[in-house]
Amino acid sequence: MDFEFSVITESLPALLAGAKLTWIITILGIIGGMVCGVLAGLGRIAGTEALGEKPHGIFKPICVLIRYLSGGYVEMIRGTPIIVQAMFLYFAFPMLVKAVTDIERFRIEALTAAVITIIFNAGAYIAEIVRGSVISVNKGLLEAGMSLGISRFQLIVHVIGPIAFRRMIPPLGNQFIISLKDTSLFIVIGVGELTRQGQEIMASNFRALEIWLTVAVMYLIMTTVLAMSLRQLERKMKIF
Amino acid sequence: MPSIIELKNVCKSFGHTEVLHNIDLSIQEGEVVVIIGPSGSGKSTLLRSINCLEMITSGELIVDGVRIPAEQDRIRQIRLEVGMVFQQFNLFPHMTALENVAFGPHKARKINKSEATEIARGLLYKVGLAEFEDKFPGQLSGGQQQRVAIARALAVNPKVLLFDEPTSALDPEMIGEVLDVMKSIAKDSGMTMLVVTHEMGFAAQAGNRLIFMDDGRIVEEGKPGEIMKNPQSERLKDFLGHVKHH
Repeated sequence: MDFEFSVITESLPALLAGAKLTWIITILGIIGGMVCGVLAGLGRIAGTEALGEKPHGIFKPICVLIRYLSGGYVEMIRGTPIIVQAMFLYFAFPMLVKAVTDIERFRIEALTAAVITIIFNAGAYIAEIVRGSVISVNKGLLEAGMSLGISRFQLIVHVIGPIAFRRMIPPLGNQFIISLKDTSLFIVIGVGELTRQGQEIMASNFRALEIWLTVAVMYLIMTTVLAMSLRQLERKMKIF
Repeated sequence: MPSIIELKNVCKSFGHTEVLHNIDLSIQEGEVVVIIGPSGSGKSTLLRSINCLEMITSGELIVDGVRIPAEQDRIRQIRLEVGMVFQQFNLFPHMTALENVAFGPHKARKINKSEATEIARGLLYKVGLAEFEDKFPGQLSGGQQQRVAIARALAVNPKVLLFDEPTSALDPEMIGEVLDVMKSIAKDSGMTMLVVTHEMGFAAQAGNRLIFMDDGRIVEEGKPGEIMKNPQSERLKDFLGHVKHH
């Protein structure tokens, strides 16, 4: 068996283009996923003691509703494979829209579908990370804040938030890397990300060893960059 | 003197367990009241009810003219006037000593940041920690942390300070420094103080009134010296015997 370096150099431009797309989907997915995750994570514990005092009156049922909605979202996403979510969004959702509305030519771009899938998928897992970190904040610190007479909003922003955020960093690193690797599944909806590019080149020249080795190394470089930046952040936010 | 804290027939239950039974208590402005009693006697719950960290089940509780329970905004008003010092210090671990103390005046009293920082500096100086202002709680000893916590509670300029076993989590050699700070507050500022503690020396020196609680009730109260010399009930005699032997 021979190993041809020229195969790698020849396919590098296409693979790099794929890697770029993988990176874009991942970054957009992570940013959107963080927003989703923080909202759903806080939503799952809305109106509980983890966020200060329990609410009264009208806020009580509102908080219960928010908890159910957030919980439903998290369970729905965690309970189904991401590949099914992507195919549902790309193939089934437009049909659903057509069936219930008058819009004839409703389509979602493959790339858009990929980004949305990562956002909602990562968001559900990040929600659990957020929830876990927030409920792990020492209740005494909340009481100390409350006894100073600060509002619930200030308590969340200045006390619970910063402390919980530091605890989120290691599991977030995990989730970011998982999300990056999950983009390879979008091969099924035809997004030209790294795995898809590798697959296409391989189908034309049958050089599996060179191609998949290069693809693997490229993923490894991207995940290492992610892991190292989070490490850096963790060091910066260290608590004595 | 008007009373700043008034409890009439106050009861508090956790589920089916009643931890405070018909408490009647009136605290005057400027008084230093020391509460003693065995663990589980309801001392902490009494203190936490006054700061609305626990809600009383029945009875009447009036703090600084506000009847509790009250709506959230009023409760925040009460807490601005009633500071609390905790057994476990509960300093914000991500803030320096100075930031911990400046946090309350800046965020709760809405004083601008530079002024709040000046207030904080003055208070850290007062508790003898001027040179530690840039340290994080994790870099301070227990006694130092508790002194920062006292400065933090003082920083919002409350009328009342509640101390929930402030020295119970400290190593013996650090208890003195915290008690000294508390004594100087009691003497110099005329602050109304409610102190749950087992430090009988502090009670005798700084307290105007001593309250002995057992099983959710106030069993005895009076001048600290007299009560300690002549306990009336068997339970207090027994309790004092245990405390002294430590």
